[in-house]
Amino acid sequence: MLLLAKAALGLGGTLVLAGAYTFHEGVIRVDVDEYRDGGSHVHMWVPAAAVPMAMHLAPKRDLKHGAEHAREFLPVARAIIKEMKKYPNAEFVEVLDGADHVRIRTHDGKLQIDVDEPGEKVHVLCPLSTIDDVTRELEANARADAPAA
Amino acid sequence: MSRLTQSFLARTALIAATALLFLPLGALGQTAAAPASSTPSSSEKTTTSGAKDRWLHVRVVSSDAKGETVRVNVPLELAEAVLPTVNHNRMHDGKVKIECAHMNDVDLKTLVEAVHNAKDGEYVTVQGRENDVRVAKQNNYLIVHVLDKSNGKARNSQVEIKVPMKVVDALFSAGKDELDLVAALHALSGQGDMELVSVKDTDNTVRVWLDSKNVTE
Repeated sequence: MLLLAKAALGLGGTLVLAGAYTFHEGVIRVDVDEYRDGGSHVHMWVPAAAVPMAMHLAPKRDLKHGAEHAREFLPVARAIIKEMKKYPNAEFVEVLDGADHVRIRTHDGKLQIDVDEPGEKVHVLCPLSTIDDVTRELEANARADAPAA
Repeated sequence: MSRLTQSFLARTALIAATALLFLPLGALGQTAAAPASSTPSSSEKTTTSGAKDRWLHVRVVSSDAKGETVRVNVPLELAEAVLPTVNHNRMHDGKVKIECAHMNDVDLKTLVEAVHNAKDGEYVTVQGRENDVRVAKQNNYLIVHVLDKSNGKARNSQVEIKVPMKVVDALFSAGKDELDLVAALHALSGQGDMELVSVKDTDNTVRVWLDSKNVTE
């Protein structure tokens, strides 16, 4: 029984370390619900820590292509995210139009976008640090792609 | 080690392992405990940013049946940091080029300098059939009032703009054909709570104001 306990403790410890690493940056959450016949219902949870890892594994050619398209806006995006981190719980935009409701805000250091329409609901929650990592990575790819001065 | 102690240690280790196993799930649960739409509305939220933060608020309320409302809250510090990174069309390094600075041979920058150096008073007063316009300088504020009467008395629209002269000076501090938006925002951040723009007409109400709250009223 002692051997079993030791093995369980070792396995548990490893899982805790892996879990702590995976979830220390939080979770990216995407919920899409279309309330109509054949409407899609997408509920996706992705550990935020997995995104930078996935970007390292993504084909460089595709990353460069994306970075090239976004090159002009990447410094703006990075500046916005960097500043947004200073406001972990704030409401930035709210649009109310009858039953339609759109909100862009930060909640516990995550960017939260909520779109509520009578026939559709979209909720996106993404840690600001993850967006920062992604823009950094894209910027690095854009720089690598830029012609030497 | 006695059999009793061994058994106790084994049980403790098993309980600890089980607890450890459930820890990540707990963390996940905590993350999930804040569903995307469960947070309180803007009017209920408390501010978490520092007391020194200055927020620029824009609120547009449509008076149609649906009552469309747009609320935008921007920390001045954020705007100051982000604007210099925008280099698009006429915008660069937080400044915007105005090629029409010499409007009908009027040098806008010289005009602003003249207003800055002048004493308080009313500079422009137009009372017409369609519009009433008033431009004045009062207690170091540039004040512009426009009353549009062209759509009949019931459909009057009223525009009121009140900008500190410091902000106007900062805005025109860059060059002859440029507006320095970042300098203007920086000057604005030193001002107290105030209403900058108010537009009221039959279709919309627009309000732009400055305060230290990160939520709209």
